[in-house]
Amino acid sequence: MSRARIYPLWAPWLFLAPFVVLFGVFMAYPLISSIGLSLQQTYGPGTSVSVGLKNYADLIRDPLFWIAVRNTALYTAGSLFVQLPIALGLALLLNRPRLRGRAWFRLIFFSPSLVGLVFVATLFGLILHEREGLLNAALARVWPAFPREFPWLQRFVMPALILASLWMYAGFNMIYFLAALQTVDQTLVEAARVDGAGPWHVFRHVTWPAIAPVSGFVALLSVIGSMQLFELPYILLGGPGPESRGLTIVMYLYQNGFETGDLGYAAAIGWVLALFLIGLALVQRALQREALS
Amino acid sequence: MAVALRPRPMRPDLLMWTFARPHQEMYAPVLAAWNAEPDRPKAESLLLTTDALQRRLLSGFLSGTPLPDLVEVHGGIIAQIFRGPIDRIGFLDLTDRLRESGVIDMLNPPSLSPWTTRGRIYGLPHDVHPVLLGYRADLIEAAGIDLTQIETWDELIRVLRPLMADADGDGLPDRYLLNIWETNPELIDVLLLQAGGGLFDERERLIISSDLNAEALATIVSWTTGTNRIAINAPEFDAAGNRLRLEGVVLCSLLPDWLAGAWQLDLPQLAGKVKLMPLPAWRPGGRRTSVMGGTMLGLPREGRDIERAWTLAQELYLNREVARRLYREAGIVTAVRAFWDDPIFDEPNPFFSGQPAGRLYIDQAPHVPVRSSSPYHRLALAALGDAAMALKMQAEQHRLSAPSQLKPLARALLAQAEQRVRRQMNRNVFFQIEEPTP
Repeated sequence: MSRARIYPLWAPWLFLAPFVVLFGVFMAYPLISSIGLSLQQTYGPGTSVSVGLKNYADLIRDPLFWIAVRNTALYTAGSLFVQLPIALGLALLLNRPRLRGRAWFRLIFFSPSLVGLVFVATLFGLILHEREGLLNAALARVWPAFPREFPWLQRFVMPALILASLWMYAGFNMIYFLAALQTVDQTLVEAARVDGAGPWHVFRHVTWPAIAPVSGFVALLSVIGSMQLFELPYILLGGPGPESRGLTIVMYLYQNGFETGDLGYAAAIGWVLALFLIGLALVQRALQREALS
Repeated sequence: MAVALRPRPMRPDLLMWTFARPHQEMYAPVLAAWNAEPDRPKAESLLLTTDALQRRLLSGFLSGTPLPDLVEVHGGIIAQIFRGPIDRIGFLDLTDRLRESGVIDMLNPPSLSPWTTRGRIYGLPHDVHPVLLGYRADLIEAAGIDLTQIETWDELIRVLRPLMADADGDGLPDRYLLNIWETNPELIDVLLLQAGGGLFDERERLIISSDLNAEALATIVSWTTGTNRIAINAPEFDAAGNRLRLEGVVLCSLLPDWLAGAWQLDLPQLAGKVKLMPLPAWRPGGRRTSVMGGTMLGLPREGRDIERAWTLAQELYLNREVARRLYREAGIVTAVRAFWDDPIFDEPNPFFSGQPAGRLYIDQAPHVPVRSSSPYHRLALAALGDAAMALKMQAEQHRLSAPSQLKPLARALLAQAEQRVRRQMNRNVFFQIEEPTP
């Protein structure tokens, strides 16, 4: 009996259909139509004017957009160069087999990521409040000369955002690193030690090459997540913050699309962000291939 | 599937959306009386959250999804609706109806401005929302200070400043005179409007960088920094802000009638400790009030029975009993001038130390400044906030605290803010405002 008689030719399509239909209606169609939207100015579907590439040209000349790009880049850099090394450091510490209470430490470091960004933003708002905040109250105890109403959230917008996200995500990323560290071939580690390698050399020449693919993946996830930053500054600062120092690309997209109602411009911002992320993913893949080869 | 297949409730002949439960409860007796009349279509109200109402309303206007026959909206929603070309605005233009029926003469004229764009009126105003100064009478009068003869901000600050002493020796003033901060552009806008400035003029043209605004902003920022500091940041509806109010750390607040109503519900500990007075003016003889917030009732253009919806709208908003309940339950003064003589507004209010709060608000109601309904108001507010924060930083960096020192900087920063908003406004091909020729 031929295979076609058991499984009709259309059978695979039938099984794929739910996904294909849903993907087409809710992902592919909106995605493609958003390209058209980014070339228009609209007031609802019934009223639109084609403006060609004007939305993109305006975006390039828009100083607020570049402020948003700068802020997002700074936050991303903070995630990459502060948060990930700390996450890796925690993972290396917790990967030591003789450490007592490892499971508890894992839970403690991971647990902040169980709460939402809204909670984290509210919590840090209370900690950093000028007059009633925990930080100023604690500083007043140990350092009486310190200004009692120091405006942390106004002076240090980006460090506050990076600190809040560090508290939330360092433990989460630690889990990826921990999983990767547990796959490192211990015979290689032992061999390196027998050959006289110290802890740094073992990490540099054995551990790091083994966890590099996972590290690249974590870094890519971290960049994508950072580029989509919105809720944390929106709640912690109540908007873009002083001198728009908390304005991110997605917040600017939201402001234009849903507060001002300029959907075409918002679509253009979305596509610039999407193209950047696609480019970044391609670069990461190329680098990873090169590293593996 | 079960949800999709369940039988749909019958839609009433006239459906009204509102976003506030107290409003819905106030309208219930009027709707019951309306429905009791045999020849009238059945009317019902539906309560939606602000976000749900906004999304469904915009979807209806822009994409043709089902809409009610009447809908209550606040200023934050109306801005997006007014973004488009005048002939595509989803609300019915009520200008001619208001004039022909004489209803326009019953209403407080400045209260129509937030619901007007390009000279056309799209809603019946629900309220006036004049702003008074709420102050801690218990603390101020205990110090032997009488505010009844105070006329200007300068006088108020002069007589209250002694209360900022650090009696408890913790290195901080025990009290601050006013709740305002450079991070709160909404409150700054209230004071700019009072000063005769604001973000837009009556014809929706940008006036952020006006001289009046520069002067007022320089003064406000001077209140937040250096030796001139008299202000503190005590946000409303916020635990830390309420604590500052309850502990008497903040002595005076800008208090629109709706916020006065909210204080009575949220801060009962302040009952009998607070009094109201007209805002001190920026200069002798100047305006003693401002305005903050607002709601309107509009009729979607595609409504099924416009004429009956218009009749119901008038019964709801031009109803003395609704106006009385609005004041009694929410502390809000109606925009219908004919009801301002109602004795309810003269009743002593125990929360405000026995003052007739309603009458105090009504005395100022005709003088509230005219506001714009510009769809770019929010953007302009954000730009104003940025300018205020930048001015404060520069003031601290260069140790400037006198308003005269800050004014040139304020003017330059407001000019930048205006340029930023104008750039966005100029992008909108549907919303073109005639600018004055230089």
